[in-house]
Amino acid sequence: MATRTPDADTDRDRRRRRSSAAAPTEATRPNPLREGLRLERMAEPCTMIICGATGDLTDRKLAPALYNTLLGGFLPPEFSVVGFARRDLTDAAFRDHLLESINKYSRNRPVKPGIWESFARGIEYHRGDLDDPAAYVELAKRLDRIDRDRGTAGNRLFYLAVPPNLYPEIVNQLERAGLATPGERRRAGSKRGWTRVIIEKPFGWDLASARTLNRELSEVFDEEQIYRIDHYLGKETVQNMAVFRFGNGLFEPIWNRRYIDSVQITVAETVGAEGRGEFYDQTGALRDIVQNHGLQLLAVFAMEPPVEFQAEDLRDEKLKVLRAVKPMTPAEVAENTIRGQYVSGWVEGERVQSYRDEEEVKPDSETETFVALKLGIDSWRWAGVPFYLRTGKTLPSRVTEIAVQFKRAPLTLFARAGVPQVEPNVLAIRVQPDEGILLRFGAKVPGQGLQIRTVNMDFRYGASFAVDSPDAYETLVLDAMVGDPSLFTRDDEVERAWEILDPILAAWNSGEGGPMHFYAAGSWGPPAADQLLERDGRAWRKP
Amino acid sequence: MTPASRTASEEQSVHRRLMRFGEAESLATPMWEDRDTSVHAVAHHLSSLWDASREVSAESEPVVGEKGMPHARASVLNLIVTVIDGAAADRVVHTLMDLGVRHPSRAIILVPEPDSAEHPIDARISTHCHDVATGGDRVCYEEVVLTVRGDAAEHLSGVVAPLLIHDLPTSVWWPGDPPFANRVFDQLVEMGDHLVVDSSDFGDLLGGLRRLANVRRRSGVGDLAWERLRWWQELTAQFFDTPRFRRYLPNLSRLHIRYATAPPGSERHDDEADVAPGVAAPISQALLYAGWIGTRLGWRRHLTLEPLAGGRFHLRLEGKYEMVDLLIEPTETEDVRPGELLSVRLASVGEAGAAQFLVDRDQDDAIVATNADGMTALLRRVAMETPSEAELLSSQLTMDVVDPLYEDALRAAAILLASAREAAA
Repeated sequence: MATRTPDADTDRDRRRRRSSAAAPTEATRPNPLREGLRLERMAEPCTMIICGATGDLTDRKLAPALYNTLLGGFLPPEFSVVGFARRDLTDAAFRDHLLESINKYSRNRPVKPGIWESFARGIEYHRGDLDDPAAYVELAKRLDRIDRDRGTAGNRLFYLAVPPNLYPEIVNQLERAGLATPGERRRAGSKRGWTRVIIEKPFGWDLASARTLNRELSEVFDEEQIYRIDHYLGKETVQNMAVFRFGNGLFEPIWNRRYIDSVQITVAETVGAEGRGEFYDQTGALRDIVQNHGLQLLAVFAMEPPVEFQAEDLRDEKLKVLRAVKPMTPAEVAENTIRGQYVSGWVEGERVQSYRDEEEVKPDSETETFVALKLGIDSWRWAGVPFYLRTGKTLPSRVTEIAVQFKRAPLTLFARAGVPQVEPNVLAIRVQPDEGILLRFGAKVPGQGLQIRTVNMDFRYGASFAVDSPDAYETLVLDAMVGDPSLFTRDDEVERAWEILDPILAAWNSGEGGPMHFYAAGSWGPPAADQLLERDGRAWRKP
Repeated sequence: MTPASRTASEEQSVHRRLMRFGEAESLATPMWEDRDTSVHAVAHHLSSLWDASREVSAESEPVVGEKGMPHARASVLNLIVTVIDGAAADRVVHTLMDLGVRHPSRAIILVPEPDSAEHPIDARISTHCHDVATGGDRVCYEEVVLTVRGDAAEHLSGVVAPLLIHDLPTSVWWPGDPPFANRVFDQLVEMGDHLVVDSSDFGDLLGGLRRLANVRRRSGVGDLAWERLRWWQELTAQFFDTPRFRRYLPNLSRLHIRYATAPPGSERHDDEADVAPGVAAPISQALLYAGWIGTRLGWRRHLTLEPLAGGRFHLRLEGKYEMVDLLIEPTETEDVRPGELLSVRLASVGEAGAAQFLVDRDQDDAIVATNADGMTALLRRVAMETPSEAELLSSQLTMDVVDPLYEDALRAAAILLASAREAAA
């Protein structure tokens, strides 16, 4: 048989041969039709199992988040939901319950009936006690059936919408029922789908309990399977800050001790402990806000540029910042921390009773509702720059911001013209409300004389890109389905945060850490908090 | 009534209507109108619009409070719109009012009247503010309508250039059928960073598609007809996100697209001002869709089975393993805008087995069905809203970058249409 010469090999033949060689891998190749489309973050087919599905979180956050994600086109047709809880409900009743919640809390409402009917076919309810092994065995059977019927490929996302003390029980039950498939690395080559778990804060009570919780979770799941939600990070803050710092050539060169005098981080709430007195009285502002949001904001603000903008690199850099925050001695706690508790006052025109008079709060409670801290980051970039962090309840306005105060101009050129010291420049990064960036600088008032006035340059994301940002839960739940843990907190970050805060809690408890200061609701905290800055020649901003 | 003042009264009435629904604020500054004016006078008026001293004339000191300026004057882009007459300007004014919320900008609407011997320039400036849902800011933009006559209408770029906010990206939106052969078209397109058209309005679709593929511009070309396909593309891609369905892709053997046309004699009369009048080239979306799939899957043209007649044609294309029958046909309906897709059916044969993938429009929803792997048909209903012209324009303006997907689809659409035509000729 004559062999064919290369010339006889037509284009088409070549193409045919190439493609037939590649044919068996068609299913493993990326979808050619997906390339370049706007929605590049489609979730993989999976089942989301909500443990504690009849609770408040499902109503207010998860059900609306799922519906809006569906409307956005981010959920694949196979996507299924199983609500798992003790209450006796039928599938239909559970669907109706979700529908009602969405109609009440969703940013897109009312629900479109046709769309909902179609989506609801993939929603089931699994009745059982969260500590009953038999309920998990049945759950496993149910999930296998859903995999077969709906093509969810064994991918499972467990959302633990329950109090944290139930986490260990649930993950152990999952393991015993064979529902805890090993992590991505360990199952390399295996055809089974992935299993991921989402948990809510608080992640522990102190270092010891956080370690215990992490250990109990890690006995069943790999770290990469565990998604710790901090809804603060699900806002656009992290990406906005990263783009602002690393997407512009202007700011990063001055983002260090040479140019920055000090940094203030404020997380202010106007509400008191109302409604969650029991929880709050055991927790306090340090655990409730500083441990997670406060230190995360600090870390994102101060971190070095990550090698790549992806999960492990980001978390490595954040961890490095936290490791450079040195835990305090009792004497340092007394010097650098102020704790406060509100007494009756007026907030937003309404009378607020004293914290100790709130329902479910002990009348002699020593729980702090306000914290001001002076922290240092012992790194080459930040050595010597004080980071002042404050958070509190019943403050005058609800605002979260990071304000950078720059060093003054080295020489006061205008002193002779009768102009006193020009105010230092401030760059304020506002997280909420009205996410945006504000720069304060001095400008000459037009006219013959030389008068300098500080002016604001104000940029707001909302005013420039008047688009609806998705709710934090929409972003985070979708991230977990896609398998992107960038915005979730890693175990070592959680533990390091506790290493920083444990000495403060201990010194406060022993009385070495300084007294409790009281402040009127509606004020910016106790006067002692002002003194914390005044003695350094600085003052809090009034955001 | 001159075109400019007709537009003005229309604008006032639209604005009143929006205010009634709580969707717009009143005009932020009094409307400024001047007949027989100069570019210099217009530029001067624009620059004085947002003077802080004018805003707070009651106070003697300039406002530099912590909360910033009284109006958030954030500018993200200039928009130049060229329209053929006052009626088209009315339509644009309405669309821009919706757009203002999303894209604070300076919009310059040009009404060229080269054959008129009247004074060269009439101008009207209005400013619009919308409340932003979060935070209580107001976002403002200004709109300039210029009627340019005589020789000046042949040199529009010179008229527009001094009026743009400098250092901002500039988009050129040409609604209707752009005069591709006219020098003015090139002038304006070169001024902009980004050109937006609607190919379903092209009088000569093939000529227009070919011309678009070769337009000189710094960044992208946007096409509202392409933007309307977004959900169709998304739903089509979703079929093959599932790995087990992906193996059908190289074996696709049939693509059948139905699109809407207006029944004869029925002119859509609608009170909603942003509904386009007639659609000159309703087949455009179907062609772009076929062009998109064809280029993604590497199809090549092969044979014309039925040449283009009455908006319908049938081609045979060469796919990876199979020949692909492409059938595009119109269906008369008054339910949706002419040109919108009504259904897409993909079928595959071959060793992988037979499979069908189908997206069918049903009012504001779509029925999506899969029949493959010998499984019972998977059927679901998803949202398929028809975005308004403002929404389409808004997402095109957000994407002012080169869209390679579109450029490929555009070229392929031109080739498909040419194939269908050649055989006819």
